[in-house]
Amino acid sequence: MTLLTRASPQTLRLLALGLALLATILFFATQIEGYLSPRMFSRISTSAAVVLPIAVGQAIVIMTRNIDLSAGSVMGVVAYMAGQTLSSMPDLHPVLAVLFCMSLGAALGAINGIIIAWGRVPSIIVTLGTLALFRSFLVEWSDAKTITTASLPQWLVDLPSANAFSIGSLDIRVTVVLALVAVLVTGAALTFYRPARRFYAVGSNPDAALMAGINANRVVLTAFILSGAFAGLSGFLFLAKFGNITVVAGLGYELKAIAAVVVGGVSIMGGSGSMIGVLMGALLVDTIDNSLTRWAVVSEFWRDALLGGLIMAAVTVDTLASRQLTRMRKGGQQ
Amino acid sequence: MMKLTGLAFAAGLATLMGSTAMAEPVTATPGQAVNAVLLPKFLGILPFDQANRGAQEAAAELGSTGTLEFIGPTPENSAAGQIEMLTNATTQKQNVVMLSNNAGDQIAPAAEAAAAAGTKVVTWDSPIPNGAGESFFVAQVDFGSIGVVMADMAYDLAGGAGEFAVLSASPDAANQNAWIDAMKKTLAEDAKYKDLKLVDVVYGNDQSEESYNKALGLVDKYPDLKVIMAPTTVGIVAAAKAMQDEGLCEKVKVSGLGLPAEMVSYSLNGCAPQFALWSFVDLGYLTYQASYALATGAIKGEVGEEFTAGRMGTFKIEEDPGRPGAKRVLMGPFTVYTKDNVEAAAN
Amino acid sequence: MTQPVLELLGLSKSFAATQALKDMSLTILPGEVHAIVGENGAGKSTLIKIMTGVHQPDTGTVRVDGQPVTLKSTQAAQEAGIAAIYQEPMVFPDLNVAENIFISNRAKGRIMRWSEIYAEADSLIAPLGVKLDVRRAASGLTLAEQQTVEIARALSLKVKVLIMDEPTASLSAHEVARLLDIARALKAQGVAVIYISHRLDEIFRIADRVTVIRDGQHISTKPIAEVTEDGLVKDMVGRALESFAVKTAANPHGETLLSVKDLTCAGVFQNITFDLHKGEVLCFAGLVGARRTDVALSLFGIAPATDGTITLAGQQVSITTPQQAMDLGIAYVSEDRRKLGLAMPLSIFANISLASLKKLLKPFGIIDRQAEAAMAETYRKRLAIRSPDTLIEVGKLSGGNQQKVMLAKWLETKPRVLIFDEPTRGIDVGAKAEVHAIIRQLASEGVAILVISSDLPEVLALADRVLVMREGRQAGILRIEEATQERVIAMAAGQATTERPAA
Repeated sequence: MTLLTRASPQTLRLLALGLALLATILFFATQIEGYLSPRMFSRISTSAAVVLPIAVGQAIVIMTRNIDLSAGSVMGVVAYMAGQTLSSMPDLHPVLAVLFCMSLGAALGAINGIIIAWGRVPSIIVTLGTLALFRSFLVEWSDAKTITTASLPQWLVDLPSANAFSIGSLDIRVTVVLALVAVLVTGAALTFYRPARRFYAVGSNPDAALMAGINANRVVLTAFILSGAFAGLSGFLFLAKFGNITVVAGLGYELKAIAAVVVGGVSIMGGSGSMIGVLMGALLVDTIDNSLTRWAVVSEFWRDALLGGLIMAAVTVDTLASRQLTRMRKGGQQ
Repeated sequence: MMKLTGLAFAAGLATLMGSTAMAEPVTATPGQAVNAVLLPKFLGILPFDQANRGAQEAAAELGSTGTLEFIGPTPENSAAGQIEMLTNATTQKQNVVMLSNNAGDQIAPAAEAAAAAGTKVVTWDSPIPNGAGESFFVAQVDFGSIGVVMADMAYDLAGGAGEFAVLSASPDAANQNAWIDAMKKTLAEDAKYKDLKLVDVVYGNDQSEESYNKALGLVDKYPDLKVIMAPTTVGIVAAAKAMQDEGLCEKVKVSGLGLPAEMVSYSLNGCAPQFALWSFVDLGYLTYQASYALATGAIKGEVGEEFTAGRMGTFKIEEDPGRPGAKRVLMGPFTVYTKDNVEAAAN
Repeated sequence: MTQPVLELLGLSKSFAATQALKDMSLTILPGEVHAIVGENGAGKSTLIKIMTGVHQPDTGTVRVDGQPVTLKSTQAAQEAGIAAIYQEPMVFPDLNVAENIFISNRAKGRIMRWSEIYAEADSLIAPLGVKLDVRRAASGLTLAEQQTVEIARALSLKVKVLIMDEPTASLSAHEVARLLDIARALKAQGVAVIYISHRLDEIFRIADRVTVIRDGQHISTKPIAEVTEDGLVKDMVGRALESFAVKTAANPHGETLLSVKDLTCAGVFQNITFDLHKGEVLCFAGLVGARRTDVALSLFGIAPATDGTITLAGQQVSITTPQQAMDLGIAYVSEDRRKLGLAMPLSIFANISLASLKKLLKPFGIIDRQAEAAMAETYRKRLAIRSPDTLIEVGKLSGGNQQKVMLAKWLETKPRVLIFDEPTRGIDVGAKAEVHAIIRQLASEGVAILVISSDLPEVLALADRVLVMREGRQAGILRIEEATQERVIAMAAGQATTERPAA
């Protein structure tokens, strides 16, 4: 009870989300043979790793009361151009390759940010435009050539199966570590780095932010640059994981990211949300998705509908549970 | 259009004569003005670019004094973009639109409007499922023969017996479903395949990530799985990469329809020792030849008509066995690629 | 002569067709409390926004410590040592109290040392004498608490000039006294305080000099010893005005219309019981935090009660949504105009017609624009809303005029029960008298009226009976004949004999 009375509503939400994730895992453990296995852990963690960075960037943008619909296109452009660059410069240091991807993404994000912050055009309109624009650019740029695994340096091709370390029999892959670093660094910054707190301030009350001497334009621009940079990191992971990159790379990833972010409790009205929430949101969506693929009971035709339904159910459980916990907390105080 | 009336009359006469006498393959007169549009599912991927190369080659050979435009939507806007572009081509009074349909039956009203306004619609690669508004479909291969080839490749890779599964594009892709049905039929009818067991059909929606995850899902779900058959160019590479990443290439082989350029490393390292494909260059070439003949009135698009298509020889318009009431021109055959011929084809 | 800390020289500012300031000059000395008074729309808000860098003057110069400066942003103003506490508190609902205080404090470094931040926030809040958990999120704070946060924020910036814009409008009597003490302490440290208030008594308690502005122009600046209350009011309105009298006897009123019994909202307020008659004005008095607004919100269905009964015209009713309340003829004129009352980006006429659109519908659900405009125009004249027409965005009006627009909106629904929540907060004396006259007029027409007010003279001028609340409980009901300022304060603060033992 002491824990409940001291915890903030945010913490309670995370607790509820954790319960929803646990319930999902326990349910599928009864349904799928060999579900609670190191192999399943690898499957879900590596799958979530690709979407996590882009979701982190999306969360920052959503915190400022904006949205970045172009993130999937940015991811595609970066994956393609990085593949091209690495084909022609196979000796490029891996760290520089990652930096290249993030810088390219950041540059594309800056285009969004400048138009939104100084052009005063709503982000949903601007990024809907750049969603198509970046994709069209990629179509022109690619000249219908595919980036193939054969042209990529071997370290990149091997990266998805590379193990960073193991906890017992659970393998933590390098790509998973990369994604987790993105989450943790961003999470720490959002908690302890003063300039990063401005994302919350601007989304929480834009008028008050102005009065408090916060340059909202610059904050929004930074959010979109970060969103682009993280989409670039996702692009890098996408390139490493799938090897074959065509102009469809990253298509629809902005929606996956938004789903993870919203399930993770980031308010679409801006001002609140946490990286732990985004991590759990991405894990929950991916767990449901990967589990349904292996669940014999449902036919292929019902999987997508069921995925949507289960995400909604998980969010409902989460909302009800956090409300219940809040009530228990109030009771505890009296 | 006025200019074409005389030609159409001449062609009509020719057809009339053709139907009374024994059918002779017609050869379209080169050097006429045919304004054509090649409309792929979307721009930016290799197969469609190859088809364009073939179409341009044919247009040069025929010496068309009209235009041949290669236009298409961007990937995220495929279906809506195709409908819009077909409608635009109609208002521009293009003579013929060559369409690789990605919009299902949704595009049929636009195709019917085009036909009514005098713009012929010839489909290739992927037809309009109900056939409405379409003159005919230039089919890459006979769907039945794809079934046999897929069954044979599975048989070879599984060593004659064992479990295999199909990783398809989307549940509503007409061509994919037809191929899978044809394969099932082959498996059921020929005793040779009696020990081969098709355990599941899953769909990756032509997305790398979904196909990758679905392939791994199959492996987890069926521990004895020997082959993943993916009749989609996106699915086959994603499945091969998934097997490679998880170190499963020894246990589970990947096969299906793939582009040599994209598959070369997997063929060589044994993850996908065998796969098949037809030539998209040839498909584009044949589609243009047929469309030119149709637009100039050399053929009318009736069942039984025969025409010559340059270097590829003679083709015949026939009933499409998969789509009642619709017509097709069958290209065939296709090539099975192995480590011996894949490198040459990749370049 | 001491060097002025802030000088405004010949400032002018226009917004579209409206000239908000004309050749405005003002000199502020360090360590003085300088009061600025003026009616709504006199240009005070524009003046503040120029001093805080929100707006830039069209012409004129601003000097800080004798040096000309360009205050191109609030940040620039803060760096020059000028900060403000606004009429509508500006807090970040999602951030906690401590972070709200230090949000614009660049001296704090880039790393958030949360334990230090909490400790410092506590040390800033504590002298204000308010109990506030600095770790809680700012959402859900009352206006008074939000203002406390803002005062602490300005204090943390170590400002040279602190502008207080109607700081006491929602504070209770002893909180006002505390704030004035803080102002005096700031003054002793050499900080200049610019004090803007409609409460003239406060100005006489605190100010050293007082400046009157009217219609965007400077009228007079005088030491406080040289002015009288009547003289100030005369300067403000440009004419003499009679002050409102204390009511001595209840108006005759009709049958019971609204009967509330043991109304309870768990954890918020308990056992509120009263009858309200046709034509009666019942005032809710109490200190800030007495939960008076929460009772009003439950009657209007925004935060429904969890227990108790509401009987309206003899029928027991349950009110769980504002729509139900409106259908029953209950209207609520809110304290927080921005959040609950008005659609700021919409025009005056659109706001007025908002709650009564059904009446304006032509066949096929089309709104009769002509009738709508005529309706709005009627109210503009009747309530003297200061605006050339009804097409102006409500957000551009001064606080008093916004209040009138909100009142017009609810009057048009022809309510049987009208709840006013702080109807004259932030409104100047002239407009206040007008609002009081309107309330009395409505009562005489038979509307049952409930007024929540922290302004005791207002309560005593309007009420037929006074319901005093304390910490979510009903401390008692006084008839106007029995009510005096002292008695009401005593009950509100918990010294009365009618107090119930804590449950």
